[in-house]
Amino acid sequence: MKEITIDPITRLEGHGKINIFLNDEGNVENAYLQIPELRGFERFSQGRRAEDMPQITSRICGVCPVAHHFASTKALDAAFHVDPPSAAKKLRELMYMGYFIYDHILHFYFLGGPDFVVGPDAPPGKRNILGVIEKAGIEIGKEVIKHRAYGQKITAILGGKATHPVCGLPGGVSKGLNPDEVKDIANMVDSCVEFAKFSLQLLDDIVLKNKDYVELITKGPYQLSTYNMGLVDDKNRVNFYDGDIRVTDQKGSEYDRFQVRDYTDHVREHVEPWSYMKFPYLAGLGWKGLVDGPDSGIYRVGPLGRLNASDGMATPLAQKEYERMFGTLGGRPVNSTLAFHWARLIELLYATERAKELIVDEEITSDKIRNPVGEPGEGMGVVEAARGTLIHHYNVDENGLIAKANLIVATTNNAGAITMSVRDAARGLIKNGEVNDGILNMIEMAFRAYDPCFACATHSLPGSMPLIANIYDKNEMLVRSIRRD
Amino acid sequence: MKTIVIGIGNPILRDDGVGIQIVRGFREVSEGLDLTLEEASTGGMNLLDLILGFDRAILVDAVSLVDGEVGEVVVIRDVEKMRSAHSTNPHDTSFPEAIQVARKMGEERIPDEIVLVGVNIRPAYEFGEGLSREVELAIPVALEELNRLV
Repeated sequence: MKEITIDPITRLEGHGKINIFLNDEGNVENAYLQIPELRGFERFSQGRRAEDMPQITSRICGVCPVAHHFASTKALDAAFHVDPPSAAKKLRELMYMGYFIYDHILHFYFLGGPDFVVGPDAPPGKRNILGVIEKAGIEIGKEVIKHRAYGQKITAILGGKATHPVCGLPGGVSKGLNPDEVKDIANMVDSCVEFAKFSLQLLDDIVLKNKDYVELITKGPYQLSTYNMGLVDDKNRVNFYDGDIRVTDQKGSEYDRFQVRDYTDHVREHVEPWSYMKFPYLAGLGWKGLVDGPDSGIYRVGPLGRLNASDGMATPLAQKEYERMFGTLGGRPVNSTLAFHWARLIELLYATERAKELIVDEEITSDKIRNPVGEPGEGMGVVEAARGTLIHHYNVDENGLIAKANLIVATTNNAGAITMSVRDAARGLIKNGEVNDGILNMIEMAFRAYDPCFACATHSLPGSMPLIANIYDKNEMLVRSIRRD
Repeated sequence: MKTIVIGIGNPILRDDGVGIQIVRGFREVSEGLDLTLEEASTGGMNLLDLILGFDRAILVDAVSLVDGEVGEVVVIRDVEKMRSAHSTNPHDTSFPEAIQVARKMGEERIPDEIVLVGVNIRPAYEFGEGLSREVELAIPVALEELNRLV
């Protein structure tokens, strides 16, 4: 019988690549992260029925279907000049909390956590969820699996389908909640609140009580002083589903605040010849290259970006944790990229508390869940995806068809920051041209913290983000290539 | 025996969606059979959720073979043994790893048999509908394999 080998490298041809250029001394002159990008969505959507966009856009990405679904639905609310009833907004937000619950649990325990729980220089075969379970114990593993599944189930009950929701319509949602479903969700949410508290305790025990880790977070080569962006409510508190887009500066003060309909006046996109990714920047500051500091328009989004861009959390337990994080790490903003993990768990706690507020809200069982739509036109929608600010912008023609679509996805918003974080980690960690697997992983940790969502297929077999690090000498000759399958 | 057949892929990423096309085709020819048919654009833990409780899971998916012709159909029976440090998307665990995690947790609902019917494709990077000719021609071959398996 013919032997079949599936090479994970070829699963997606444009695997992640870090090109590292050394100088005379063998230290890092520059480093570039290149990642595959899916292309052509804007063109693909032209001429399609506007109301199909929430379903179509949820297929853009196997990671954030729920975020795309609601950014799209909100863009349609605006395009069809309709404000959904209050109950519909609450149902959407509740479902959105389910998405944050499973997404943040998955990242902390499966992806980011292994670096800390198992150790940043542990062998790659151990640095995964199985390694975490081995170290933390099977009972904890069971809790992780259970609560991730709860997040999924909450999303599925509200969204009609677990991974690719079908509930969002311009002007509201297609499905409400019955009392049995409310009871079911309420039980799961109660358990999730406790699990989020437990996760923060685990972070305390494993990371914050370990001096080496605290040193790595506060003093390691993971610092970046950019602007920060996130959605906030009217009291400048973090909001995942709605609000104004707020940008704060290196001192933590408000630099800019705008509504999504004005985003083109506030955010521009820069193109670099070596990358498919676009690099957004703040229009008022302009593109100054891949540099941080107050003169550069580069900003960060995602859990740390959001907490930095806000004045607090809207729920009591999360607010306490917010204060504790900024108190411990020297005030707002925190510039350590590894603090994304801490911020992510605070957001997990917020998502569970907010879900609890929503599920006990009397209006959540209301049947007034949709308002009639008006004439089509132009509309923008924004949500906070788990990994950062996500904008959809459509022009809908008089027949209800998409004339033009533009999307700014979360990882694109972080493109400049991720690239710089990888470069700075390489500079800090590679000395005299020496690179090994442990160092490569610590460079990877710089971008893993952002929980980036690169081009992803949705398949049953491994794997799309293998990594190749190419090391070039001062004459730009390839001297070494490390491949991680 | 409870069997689920799942077509996997992204239906708006050209050849990537071939698994879904095949299962749609299979729906028409498998009427009357005691099967659950499902379409999924997901992997890792979410995919695991879908197969729990069945005795047998047959996954139909696009694959990239190291050496193989575009449109070649393969049947892989040791899905669980395929290991990688990486997942099919950077935010999830790989499917084999998801199964291993479940086993470690004492999960009893994992199917006894997990088979993959794969169609070899060139990776797609541009959104669009419709399949390349070579991959389109693989559909009847994959349907035959499915018939044999169920």
